[in-house]
Amino acid sequence: MKKPSALNVEKISKHYQDGSRQIDVIRDLSFSVAAGESLSVTGPSGSGKSTLLNLLAGLLELDGGNMTLELKDKIFSYRSANERSRTALRRQHIGYVYQFFNLVPTLTVLENVRLPARLNQQRELERHAATLLDEFGLSDRLHDFPETLSGGEQQRVAVARALLLKPPLLLADEPTGNLDAENSNRVADLLFSSCREQNISLVLATHSTEVAAMADTRLHLDTRSHLNPQSQDRQSH
Amino acid sequence: MIALALLRFLARTPWSTAMALIGMALGVTSIVSVHLVSASISSRLDGLVPGALAEYSHYLHRDNLHTADYFALRKQWRAGALPTIKQLSPLVDATTTLEGQSVRVLGADLLANLPSVGVTDIAEQFSWHGAWVDKSLKDQLSIPINGIIEAPKGTLLADIATAHDLLGWPTHQLSYVGLVLGDAFAGPIETAEKLLPGFGAGFPSARPRLDLAPGWQLISTAEQYPAREFGKSILFNISALGMLALLVAWLLIYQVAVSWLRRLWPVFDRLHVLGVEWQQLRAYFLFSIGLIATLAAALGLAAGWWLASWLLEMAAPEQEINLHLDSWVIFKAVGSAIAVCLLGGAWAFHRSKQTVSHSYLPAILTLLLLAAATWCVFQPQTGLAGGFFAIAVLSLAASQAIAPLLIQLKRWATMIRGSYLLRIGIREALWHPAELSVALAGLSLAIATAIGVALMVDSFRIDFSQMLDHRLKYDLIAQGDNTALSNFTVTNKTSTLADRVQVYRNTDIRVKGLSMELNTTRMDAFESSRYGYSGSLAIQDILLSEQAARSLQLSVGDALTVAGETMTISGTFSAFGDLKPRLIVDDRSPLADALAAELQVDSVAFKSDQPGALVIELRKKLPALELRLQSDIRRVALKTFDQTFAITTVLITIALLVAAISVYIAVTTMRLNRQTGRQLLNTLGVNRTEQLMMNIALGTGLGLVAIIIALPLGVMFGWILCNVINPRAFGWTIELQLSAEALLRSCAWGMLAAIAAGILQGGDHEEGAFGGR
Repeated sequence: MKKPSALNVEKISKHYQDGSRQIDVIRDLSFSVAAGESLSVTGPSGSGKSTLLNLLAGLLELDGGNMTLELKDKIFSYRSANERSRTALRRQHIGYVYQFFNLVPTLTVLENVRLPARLNQQRELERHAATLLDEFGLSDRLHDFPETLSGGEQQRVAVARALLLKPPLLLADEPTGNLDAENSNRVADLLFSSCREQNISLVLATHSTEVAAMADTRLHLDTRSHLNPQSQDRQSH
Repeated sequence: MIALALLRFLARTPWSTAMALIGMALGVTSIVSVHLVSASISSRLDGLVPGALAEYSHYLHRDNLHTADYFALRKQWRAGALPTIKQLSPLVDATTTLEGQSVRVLGADLLANLPSVGVTDIAEQFSWHGAWVDKSLKDQLSIPINGIIEAPKGTLLADIATAHDLLGWPTHQLSYVGLVLGDAFAGPIETAEKLLPGFGAGFPSARPRLDLAPGWQLISTAEQYPAREFGKSILFNISALGMLALLVAWLLIYQVAVSWLRRLWPVFDRLHVLGVEWQQLRAYFLFSIGLIATLAAALGLAAGWWLASWLLEMAAPEQEINLHLDSWVIFKAVGSAIAVCLLGGAWAFHRSKQTVSHSYLPAILTLLLLAAATWCVFQPQTGLAGGFFAIAVLSLAASQAIAPLLIQLKRWATMIRGSYLLRIGIREALWHPAELSVALAGLSLAIATAIGVALMVDSFRIDFSQMLDHRLKYDLIAQGDNTALSNFTVTNKTSTLADRVQVYRNTDIRVKGLSMELNTTRMDAFESSRYGYSGSLAIQDILLSEQAARSLQLSVGDALTVAGETMTISGTFSAFGDLKPRLIVDDRSPLADALAAELQVDSVAFKSDQPGALVIELRKKLPALELRLQSDIRRVALKTFDQTFAITTVLITIALLVAAISVYIAVTTMRLNRQTGRQLLNTLGVNRTEQLMMNIALGTGLGLVAIIIALPLGVMFGWILCNVINPRAFGWTIELQLSAEALLRSCAWGMLAAIAAGILQGGDHEEGAFGGR
């Protein structure tokens, strides 16, 4: 049975201005993701994957269309939100994992994971950070600084941090792009399984067909997406 | 094409280009304003030496100098026994009253050397029995006037025979012998004086060895004219302080160059792969920085001119401001701006191109320099230059301590508790020694100088205020016309309104050839207490100012012979602000009797319960006198004291501003390098207020690091200023007081500068070398 959508994207568009020229990065894009389900976004460089994730995070403003995210007590509408409320959304309800520079270099591993709890003044979740890191095999690195961690370890810390608040939406931009095959699989497994178990909607941009294949739904963006409608395939696992 | 690309890069990074320009222009403003103020004061100080005597480098004195002594000396010289002497001339120099005017009569051998420097001839009146006078005496004397000379007010120059007639001296009597001594350093020092007015005062006077007969005393020009030397010493101090902003500007340019090179390096790398030599790339890079230097020099010249005018107007509102933007100051402004920019740029390029290898050589060199600086501090013969060398070496050592300190603090950073965002902000300040240490060195130096100068000024103010408390024991002081004062002492020595009337006389004398001032008055217990001496001063006793004791190298208990009278030194006293060393004796002493003809009434002091009524009474009786109440003297003295240090405050403020810009550039570079880290926090939902808090924490962290270095360094600067620079420059010692207010005030300004640098956001959005997003 199809689950109700947690994230609804309806005919959104985003363009950049380059002098007098307007470059359409995303045009009339629509999709939806249910709670606990995952969507992988693939496409060549410049096709708008990162722009889409930044729009979903509220880092960029929509030029057209609308997106909504179902929260515990309300539906958040991106179109009517100002920067302040988008920042608050990101802080309380969205987890984000980048490809590079995922951690604050001047905070220890434990401090990095606890950071969202501190920002939201949810001290009770701070204790959970150590448990999460233990589950991710990082219990011996709690007080180390990121610079001493391997790429795979850093990415696991980033996933732990993104999951700490159990947000309704987790965004991951090329989370395995900088990792070897073994670490790549480990991080991807962690992401997909954790989101599924905790009923978190996951939107993941990737170049890796293996990782993309792990998602419930695949969305392929094309550099000529404004000419050819994007394709969205639903997969079964 | 590469040059054009670099110019486009400068235009694409407007914030850092503007900051580099402003910082460099401020550095140039500092040195230009100091130069113009110094040159203006220096020319006034040079005016203290009559043009006719300007050529002499030294003077020979002896008691009761006779023409026979001079001819014996000349014979010795002609025989080749005194090869270092290039020229010698007999001179007469004494003050007398001519036609009611106090006139300094200079007698020189004009047959050999007619006055030419600064002379306006009045040809039709020329007479060998006439004189050349300064413009104040032009229409005051009945003797023939041959011309007007550049000389202090009340100076008359004549042939020796005429001078003898005017003074009523016997024809064989001389004052001293003027010498021109060969000095290999005279040329370079003269050039350095043009670049840095007051430069010569930083070095001890040369005292060449001459094989002279017993009784001759060799005196340098500095010792002959202590007032001029006093002023030039102030200029040396100001010039040294003015260099601070330039030094900090150099660190700023380095920081800017590092910032630009971080962004340009990928482009340079590719151009190098395409076959462009590194030297060529460096030349293009330095060319673009050189353009900024030239523009900064032009801006600094204009701003320096304005600042110098403002400072001079504030310091001496009654005097005409006459600033000369000569070729020396233009050369200095452009040369220093270009030198600083090219050196800073080349240093940054060198460090960007090579991996910096760890070497103990800088540390060993610094240790050797520290040993040399310590030696200079305890060797008075190294002069003011020795003191400032010690300050420069301490600054260098402190700059080198910043990076190791940051590394150490980084280790302790895990112990920082509290808000995570504050932790991030403070740790960012400690995390990047390579990027921040140079800018922090500049900020530390500026804060340390502010601390050192503030400690010195506060200590000086306390000592000065105490001296005023001692001295200002009278309610009213009368000064002015000598004749009116003398008449008053004869006819009105008592007043119904005055409880006590004290008459002071003075005269200029020479002691061991050194020019000094002798004061006489009734030295009873009350009067002696004004100089910190308990009890009445015995008639065989003498009090010496600290400068006099230092110049004569005498202390309490020693004997001193003045004008044939041997006196015992029974005390020394502080005399801040005195231009000349001073001696005080009782007016009944044999010395006062011996010099009775030369002593003139200088002032009369009154003690009264009704000073206001006394002023009214005295104004009626003696309208020509200048009357000053004790409270007015104190207020004016303290106001003058504060005005004296206004320029130091301005120079330190400029240095702090430049340092703040330098830290801002360093922080911007750090942020550009770690922009993604900031993006991450943004993604995590850190809002603008929290980002501001983080930036304040970053600035506070930077300020704290700078203060950790600056605090001990500043206290050391203060100690050197009080105990090394002041005694060597002015002959007085100041007791260093570790005033909490002075320390806090300077640290607070430094902290504000660091926080401002931390929260300024302008350059964060500048494009990289490719202009990419």
